[in-house]
Amino acid sequence: METTETDTSKYHPPWRKVAYGGMQPGYNDNYTDETFLEELVTNANVVKRDILIVMQDSVSISQYLCIVALVVIVWIHTLDSVIGEGSLLLLDACLLGLGFLILLLTTSQLSLKVLSKYLLNIAFFTCGLFVLAPVYHTLTRSISSDSIVALTISLLILHLFLHDYSGYTIRPPGCAKNPNLASNISLNASIVASVLVASRLPSRLHVFAIVLFSLQVFLFGPLITFCIKKYSFKLHLCFSFLLISMTLSIIYFLHTVSFVIFTSLLVFISAVCPYMLIKIQVYKFEINGPWDEAKLCFDITD
Amino acid sequence: MDQQLRHRILMVSDFYYPNFGGVENHIYYLSQCLLQLGHKVVVLTHSYGNRSGVRYMTGGLKVYYVPWRPFVLQNTLPTIYFSLPIIRTILIRERITVVHGHQAFSTLCHEALMHARTMGYKVVFTDHSLYGFADVGSIHMNKVLQFSLADIDQAICVSHTSKENTVLRSGIPPEKVFVIPNAVDTAMFTPAHKRLDCDTIVIVVISRLVYRKGADLLVEVIPEVCNLFPNVRFIVGGDGPKRVRLEEMREKHSLQDRVDMLGAVPHAQVRSVLISGHIFLNSSLTEAFCIAILEAASCGLLTVSTKVGGVPEVLPDDMIVLAEPDPYDMVQAIKKAIHMLPYIDPHLMHNRMKGLYSWHDVAKRTEVVYDRARQCSKKDFLHRLSRYLRCGAWAGKIFFLVMLLNFLLLSLLQIWQPSDNIEEVPDMELSQDQQEDIQLNSCEA
Repeated sequence: METTETDTSKYHPPWRKVAYGGMQPGYNDNYTDETFLEELVTNANVVKRDILIVMQDSVSISQYLCIVALVVIVWIHTLDSVIGEGSLLLLDACLLGLGFLILLLTTSQLSLKVLSKYLLNIAFFTCGLFVLAPVYHTLTRSISSDSIVALTISLLILHLFLHDYSGYTIRPPGCAKNPNLASNISLNASIVASVLVASRLPSRLHVFAIVLFSLQVFLFGPLITFCIKKYSFKLHLCFSFLLISMTLSIIYFLHTVSFVIFTSLLVFISAVCPYMLIKIQVYKFEINGPWDEAKLCFDITD
Repeated sequence: MDQQLRHRILMVSDFYYPNFGGVENHIYYLSQCLLQLGHKVVVLTHSYGNRSGVRYMTGGLKVYYVPWRPFVLQNTLPTIYFSLPIIRTILIRERITVVHGHQAFSTLCHEALMHARTMGYKVVFTDHSLYGFADVGSIHMNKVLQFSLADIDQAICVSHTSKENTVLRSGIPPEKVFVIPNAVDTAMFTPAHKRLDCDTIVIVVISRLVYRKGADLLVEVIPEVCNLFPNVRFIVGGDGPKRVRLEEMREKHSLQDRVDMLGAVPHAQVRSVLISGHIFLNSSLTEAFCIAILEAASCGLLTVSTKVGGVPEVLPDDMIVLAEPDPYDMVQAIKKAIHMLPYIDPHLMHNRMKGLYSWHDVAKRTEVVYDRARQCSKKDFLHRLSRYLRCGAWAGKIFFLVMLLNFLLLSLLQIWQPSDNIEEVPDMELSQDQQEDIQLNSCEA
């Protein structure tokens, strides 16, 4: 720090943090006062994370991964003609019933009017799919199977990457907040993947059944899991563990190598990632001070 | 002036006349005052439309409008090495001793500083804006700034808050940074001859209507103030994306007769808009140093401003009322300003401003910085290269390689186009009459 008090007998006023009045007498322009960086605030908004809570939160991600893995298993088996169209339609109906049951149990204010509105929407949705099934059936006839498989896998990876794990993209009617761009893209990717897989199936009923199944899971699955989580966190954890164990056992009986890969992936997400996150939090260095752009305290409504 | 003490300065920036703005005015006025002190000043910028080539401005100020088109946001395309030949030619031709770059956001400035440093010239940088640390754009910009300032002689900031911000962003020692504020041409911004009566109070707002300048705060504040004070009128000058919101607000509260929207105000007419008001309102969300406030104070208006960035340092407490960037607080501040209004004398305020801010003072202080830069040790380029390695684990090595390549290209250029072949420009000596004319017309008396 520099002070230029060449003549200590001559009094000059103390240094002030002002820009007017020209050069302050007795001080150079590069004088650095003791109050320099006094208003600097570091790490004001940093939240100290607890490893158990982070691991509990990562259960949502593992749960959704298992759901997607189950969907892929159903796809593979349908393409190999192991599951027939009758069983698929039964599966669709069961899933629909189960979903409605969970919705009724967990959401408190579901009046008859809203329920009938939901039922009407589902009916329209199903009829629309049934009508469009012939179109999907012949959609990718001229594309080779390898391209379809590669495209489906990349779309599923994109879907998992951009998925909104804390909320749900399909909002019930009358909801205020709009979904953001990333969750929309992920939803579209999953829909396109389902359609691509469906177009490889032999008959139109197959196509209708598999598209209905895939879309039920991808569109309404996040909503159901969000309702469970909102109702009771313990129920959410139980449900997730049940789902994870069911998925792991199914994969174990099907293919040992994929079981190993899937298990290691789940361990990575549930244990390794939270640990790494907490470990690198030490390096967080947030700087705030009077030079920051002011934040508006009100929402800008256009 | 003694040839030994004379500096030959090259001002570099993407922002210059014919654009009007803080940086542009700063460069122009500083250059004019330095010319009056006897130094030689040359300005380097990119071309503006058809305005390309070498032009001369008042006082013999030579401006090189290099024929490069602005690429985005008034900046030239950053080519890193392709600007070396022409900058080298200009530096040798004009026998420059100090290169002074302006504005961290100007790519031309960074490139010129880089080439000047490679060639061994003294380098000074002035930062005119505040930047954050959190978003992606700022992080990259700060890294570029770290690169430019790694090997700089001296730096200048326009306010103390700006000095803190620059030191944190670039990591240079605080002793290298000088605080020299902007100033205002008080001869151009004079108050109205006849004092305005206080029956109707006119509040003037002149700014670009963008988010950063707090246009959203205006949308909240104006209806509230019009509601509380029936004798208050607003004049809003300036254009931008948020103008639509202000027009909507005007329609919604039926304030067409109380709020005038002037649209974009040309710089020459700013004074006439200012003198038609009593109070100047500035609602920026971030500001390193607000020249608009100085212009308003010079015209005798009482200022109400948000307390952000370097604004608290600009004016003494009896000439400005500060408020938090919150609509309620701003309305309270406007109320306080309206009560203070009868005690304000515009001519007294103008005379005080003449003493507080002066471009000649800024030029003298900048001259001190140039003298300091000249005294800085003259180390060989290869010794200075190690300073770049301190910029970061990976970035340091990349910057080191960039500068090394620049040095190699320079050596190649010195073989291909030797500096003896570049004709040096003789100094233009103005006759006594011309010098007197300039001293009467330019800057303030």
